Amino acid sequence: MTDITLYHAPDWASTIIRLALEELALPYDLVMLDHDAGDLAAPAYRAVNPLGLVPAMTTPDGPIFETAAILLWLVDRTGSLGPGPGDPDRTAFLSWLFFTSNTLHVTMMQLVHPYRPGGEAVADAVQAQAFEALNLQTGQIESLIANQAPRWLSAAEPGVLGHYIGIILRWAMMIPEDPARRFDLRPFPALAAVLAAHEARPAALRVALADDLGPTPFTDPRF
Amino acid sequence: MYTLHYAPDNASLIVRLVLDGAGIPYRTTLVDRAARQQDEPAYRKLNPAGLIPTLETPHGPLAETGAILLWLSDCHQLGPNAASPDRPAFLQWLFFLSNTAHSDLRQLFYPHQYAPADGFAAHFDIISARMLGHFHLLDLAAAQTPKLFQPASPLGAYTVTLTRWAALYPEDGRRWLDLADYPHLLDLARAQEARVETPMIARAEGLGPHPFTRPEPPIPPEGAVF
Repeated sequence: MTDITLYHAPDWASTIIRLALEELALPYDLVMLDHDAGDLAAPAYRAVNPLGLVPAMTTPDGPIFETAAILLWLVDRTGSLGPGPGDPDRTAFLSWLFFTSNTLHVTMMQLVHPYRPGGEAVADAVQAQAFEALNLQTGQIESLIANQAPRWLSAAEPGVLGHYIGIILRWAMMIPEDPARRFDLRPFPALAAVLAAHEARPAALRVALADDLGPTPFTDPRF
Repeated sequence: MYTLHYAPDNASLIVRLVLDGAGIPYRTTLVDRAARQQDEPAYRKLNPAGLIPTLETPHGPLAETGAILLWLSDCHQLGPNAASPDRPAFLQWLFFLSNTAHSDLRQLFYPHQYAPADGFAAHFDIISARMLGHFHLLDLAAAQTPKLFQPASPLGAYTVTLTRWAALYPEDGRRWLDLADYPHLLDLARAQEARVETPMIARAEGLGPHPFTRPEPPIPPEGAVF
């Protein structure tokens, strides 16, 4: 498989895709996006991603956007980093991939951009609710790992869900201005062990260096 | 055989439209929301978040509407398979429906989960305006890739159910969607309604005679919507 171009901004959601591409050792080109220069609103980019969001990727079968869609496309095309169609683990893997995309990711966005759902006047209350919800939802992932030890979200082998959850929680730990609203990974030891194994892999270290994520981007992120 | 854990006019409706549309046999088990059955340990074991639907399969329970649709699609060839050149578009719109359109619409139904009471009005205005943008993108996608947005298909059934809910819920909310503004979505609603299985599903869940083109508040024969 060749002819992959990732539309990328370091430490935006395209970094999740880059982690997977490096782990898969797939060759890819990067097109760097500069939000401040208006790249996301440019017609050329809107032709690839009509939402004007990061990431997007072009494949031999055309463009694709949505972080989880790209991750799943890579899993299904390569047979790596997650159970494919027909695998008995596919049911649980898909359930948690959609949960991460439509719940954990959405909650994190409300934590780091709390003015978006209701305006500035209620931003503080929105953020407080998001903080509580993120801890509840991360607890569900912790229970999954502690009780069921799925191989597709484990310390033993890399997977797209580890990359995805790792970056989501990285931002939840780093971005809120109020230290009391920054997510703390320590109450979730089983998940922390999975993320520590993911960030220590050579592929992840290469991305951390290239995207300036620091040496421990998932477990102890810093600017 | 599959077992679909459902409640009337909940997201299980989307799965039902796809299963019946493809003639796939399944059993239904009502989750009685009036009795908060979705919070009972037996249901939480199948679905840790306590959300509806769950589909029980020979490979264990599936949670999440999008996950169920994709899994059924791959098992029963209801959409582009992993090798298909249409797979990128199929996956991107499925996740868009799940994490953006459905997720935002859910915020309108359950605002207390997302904003404080004094922010509900602003929240409603912001999210409903965002939803119009999402339906615009889906209308364009249905125009550009009509074979992905057929009635009873994963993307088609998901889309028409979201437009139905947008017209109905919250019941005490301001109405903000006119489906006529989205001609391809209106066509899709008409096509879904014209399918032979749709009236049977509508009867089973009490959805009335025009569940997608002229939605009315449901009168379910069993169970509760909220």
